[in-house]
Amino acid sequence: MILVVAEQRDGTLNRATLETIAAAQKLAGDAPVKAAVLGQSAGAVAQDLATAVSEVLLVENPALGTYTPDAFTVAVQQIVAAVKPVYVLLPHTYQTRDFAPMVAVRVGASLITDVVGINGTGSSATFVRPMFQGKLSAEVRPQGEGPRCVTIQIGAFRADAVKRGTAAPVNPLAVEIDPSTIRQKAEAPFKEAKQAVDLGQAERIVAVGRGIKSQENIAIAEKLAGAMSAEIAASRPICDNGWLPMDRQIGSSGQTVAPKLYVALGISGAIQHLVGMKGARTIVAINKDADAPIFEVADYGIVGDLFDIVPALVSELEKS
Amino acid sequence: MSETLEVDVLIVGGGPAGLSAALRLSQLQKTHGGEPLSIAVLEKARDAGAHTLSGAVLDISALRELIPDYEAKGVPFATPVHRDQVYFLSKRSKIRFPIVPPPLRNHGHFIVSVNALVRWLSEQVEKEGVDIFTGFAGRDVLLDGGRVVGVRTGDRGVAKDGTKKAEFEPGVEILAKVTIFCDGVRGNLTKELVRKLELSVDREPEQYAVGLKELWEIPQGRIEPGTVIHTLGYPLLQDQFGGGFIYAMPQGRISLGFVVGLDYHDPLFDPHMAFNRFKQHPFVSDLLKDGSLIRYGAKALPEGGWNTIPRTYMDGGLIAGDAGGFLNSMRLKGIHLAMRTGMLAAEAAFEAVRQGDTSAASLKRYQDKIDASPVRAEMYPVRNVHQAFGYGLFAGLAFAGLTVATGGRWLQDLHGRAGHERMKMLSWHYGVEVPASRTSNATTIDRKLTFDKLTNVHYSGTAHDEDQPSHLLVQTDVCTSICGPEYGHPCVRFCPANVYEIIREPGQPVRLQINASNCVHCKTCDIMDPYQVITWVPPEGGDGPQYNGM
Repeated sequence: MILVVAEQRDGTLNRATLETIAAAQKLAGDAPVKAAVLGQSAGAVAQDLATAVSEVLLVENPALGTYTPDAFTVAVQQIVAAVKPVYVLLPHTYQTRDFAPMVAVRVGASLITDVVGINGTGSSATFVRPMFQGKLSAEVRPQGEGPRCVTIQIGAFRADAVKRGTAAPVNPLAVEIDPSTIRQKAEAPFKEAKQAVDLGQAERIVAVGRGIKSQENIAIAEKLAGAMSAEIAASRPICDNGWLPMDRQIGSSGQTVAPKLYVALGISGAIQHLVGMKGARTIVAINKDADAPIFEVADYGIVGDLFDIVPALVSELEKS
Repeated sequence: MSETLEVDVLIVGGGPAGLSAALRLSQLQKTHGGEPLSIAVLEKARDAGAHTLSGAVLDISALRELIPDYEAKGVPFATPVHRDQVYFLSKRSKIRFPIVPPPLRNHGHFIVSVNALVRWLSEQVEKEGVDIFTGFAGRDVLLDGGRVVGVRTGDRGVAKDGTKKAEFEPGVEILAKVTIFCDGVRGNLTKELVRKLELSVDREPEQYAVGLKELWEIPQGRIEPGTVIHTLGYPLLQDQFGGGFIYAMPQGRISLGFVVGLDYHDPLFDPHMAFNRFKQHPFVSDLLKDGSLIRYGAKALPEGGWNTIPRTYMDGGLIAGDAGGFLNSMRLKGIHLAMRTGMLAAEAAFEAVRQGDTSAASLKRYQDKIDASPVRAEMYPVRNVHQAFGYGLFAGLAFAGLTVATGGRWLQDLHGRAGHERMKMLSWHYGVEVPASRTSNATTIDRKLTFDKLTNVHYSGTAHDEDQPSHLLVQTDVCTSICGPEYGHPCVRFCPANVYEIIREPGQPVRLQINASNCVHCKTCDIMDPYQVITWVPPEGGDGPQYNGM
């Protein structure tokens, strides 16, 4: 049995959970996949997942209302003790990175992080994880007894590949958390003055590169982004010039994204940029230079002047 | 208000010199007993060894003394050297030297990854209970008059515009009775010390080279592991110092690189292109065919030799390793000298602290120890060899040969000039027909055998937080006013990591863009800039290349 630890906040499911369920289904073969939803009142999220797994464990506790590493570690430790999974799968989010190592130590499990591929099923499976910034992939096998913890890289599996069936039962599972053992106290969440964008959650992205030539021309790309309800992003030189904020930068020194659609405008495709977006499902590249490396990864390539092509695209999109 | 930490001995730089010093100190403590000394090691890389780069063939003499049971402790040698070959390359062919010149005979030595060696050394040091503060760079020397009293580490969490970010942490002042500077080739702290305390006044100008290196995986069986190849000639001209190296390791791993003297004349010359051309030579390209690049890196080397070493001792301070220029350019080796000077510095610091006198007069014992050690015995006879190459390849080779034959007994020492002064202006080098800025030795880039700098940089694994002030301090007014017309912006070419870019946009003035996050900490720009207006300072601790396996 494989246990997926879902991630939700205030009743909103993190999309990466579905990707993790897709990974769990691949790893499980015929074995059952269960999901655990942790929170204070997370019933709606649990119902959402019911068609994707064979049982949803609804783990509600006042101490789980706001995330703290201590409470989540204790809770997952007790869930693992109760259901005895062969694998515990988690999405490789910031929250998982925070508490998964503690869980692994507490339950005596090996921990394989940032997994991008799974070979085989069940206890003989091996896991693929990136090394050397994605240049090499290592195939690793967990060792030792007990459950194995695995975290799944965002974008490595497809959320829409989750096999759905009839709704499975949602069963409550009680955990005991002694509030005095929680060493952290969370303040109310806040956004920094400059609004942080999580491009990792975006389904469509329009990214601009040096080919955009000047700051004024960013508006052309923003118009396209608006017409296709996409987030705007950029390669390093654009953010370095201050034409777009740094949190919109994609690549090895920016964010890594895996949207359904990625439109690259005037981006040559240096390897530093490619590592940040090659996980996108469909890549469309518009560039004047037919030899630009971006075309090596693009699904659709347009060799031409973005200042002609983008307005044409916008007007077509607005027609439909 | 920054925090303060007080120790007896502070070692700045966790490379072969610094870690050997740390280990020697803890050994001395064990032998002599008494009140234990407090020791701290600062290292700017996130992990020990992440910023160290070398060929490398290791002369194990210093290691054998420092850790006699190195084999039992699992030293990570790649392979013993089985055979040496030296070739002179012309554009299409090669001529093998009938005999391998004695300084290039490596029998009994080992091919190593200096990254792996340093990581292993750091484990030995940590087992002794010495703290290595990785991710902390020495930013400023703390001086009390002419006395070194410690080092201040860099602030963390400063934004690009100089404001403090939410995660701001001020640097820490580490005060020490003795500070041993092992901050590597052209170390930013040693540079500051040499200038402020005038440690080089009666010395020859330091000479440097830059080494570019790649790690490759090729089909097994093509070259026997343990083969060490050095080349001279193509693609360099007769008046350029440098050459190639190929070291074969087990499992089809190849360490290959190219060293270029940072004293070339042509301002349009690009060392990275020379490396690409070296790989395109049939001798090398046949070897690399169907192989793949694993890692890339670059690092300057102190080539000047004995007469260029600054005064190594001062009130409260010592200089060891590459920072001091302890490298034998004729044998192409420096790791063992770094280790040995680190050990000797540790001995001097230990004795001085125990005696309660860490003045320059007391710490002079370090220089005495060097003079009585194999370091001088090895470096003094070849003290003029690099300077002789200033007269061209054949003069240099002839001189090197004479040095071997006579043991370096010359009446008069040769003088050198600082390399950046030897770069010629465009109009001098090219006459009246000054070419538009381009690279004079450009070649084709196929991203299989030859690479553009940006792609190579990716393989260095270098990473810097983008939101921090540039760690390359450049007086940019010089760039467009005089450097462009006179030298054609040579920084764009001598930087092996595409840090410097000249942006020409229609309707905009030409400007220099500094891509500081590409930097691989090689120090070439700080050395080679003809106006000496580039100063390299450490970026936020932990940032920089990731030289795993290099």
